[in-house]
Amino acid sequence: MILARIARQLGFDVVEAGNGREALDRLAELDSVPELALIDWNMPEMNGLEFVAAVRRDARYKAMTLMMVTTESEQSQIVRALAAGAHEYVIKPFTPDAIVEKLALLGLVKNGVKV
Amino acid sequence: MTERAQVRHTPNTEELLSIAEMVWASYLDPAGDHPLVVDADTWPGVAATDVVATVAISGAWDGRVLLSFTPLAAKRAAAALLGLEDAQDMGDADVADAVGELANIIGGSVKSLMSQPTVLSLPAVHTGPFPDMGGEVCRVSGTWRGEAVCVAVHEVAAYVGVSRTGETSQ
Repeated sequence: MILARIARQLGFDVVEAGNGREALDRLAELDSVPELALIDWNMPEMNGLEFVAAVRRDARYKAMTLMMVTTESEQSQIVRALAAGAHEYVIKPFTPDAIVEKLALLGLVKNGVKV
Repeated sequence: MTERAQVRHTPNTEELLSIAEMVWASYLDPAGDHPLVVDADTWPGVAATDVVATVAISGAWDGRVLLSFTPLAAKRAAAALLGLEDAQDMGDADVADAVGELANIIGGSVKSLMSQPTVLSLPAVHTGPFPDMGGEVCRVSGTWRGEAVCVAVHEVAAYVGVSRTGETSQ
């Protein structure tokens, strides 16, 4: 809910899903490939790491930026997520500014607005 | 003969308070106008109508992190997370999501203090008292904007058997 609010404030259209499986289903229904996915780790049915790996295996979603936003803070978990194909990793609790900063580094946001 | 032995680090009140203050500063009181006021002596306990979220930590350390808000505090928390001024229109689903997410964040921070590997469960949200699980190891309680709030950590006991020869087993 926090991330959806931040993303909308930046100008993104947001589609939400409760787990990785649902997110894949929603992706398949969309007319265009989203620019960005903000992904939690701990989710039922398909967790965030599994979702990242699934998206990376699918050539349709090659252009998507994947950012993990999670309570998992161990170095080994961060390495696993990045190795699976996540572009960025943010540890909760985060401030909205931290998210905006990361998105700016990824080239998706400039001067606090979606590019 | 058996005796209970503590073989893993458990969080203390100071660590839990630091985590709670970080969460308040990040999400519930970023402007610093309405901080968490810690006062264990005045906390009335979890009421039957309070919103309670629980996450379990399991693996190298086993326990629960619990978060309770009065109904009004829970609505205000939901409004804060959604960036809304008015808490009155917060529906039950949004309130449960908000309190669950806060428990998830606090639980994740507690988990990072523990011996690894551990796994964090999804949050479970209900109304009413903490489940009777014993083993409270630390608690931060007080008020937020005049409403009772509590964060607690409970440990699932680990028992170590000690034989007559002094050899231990679990």
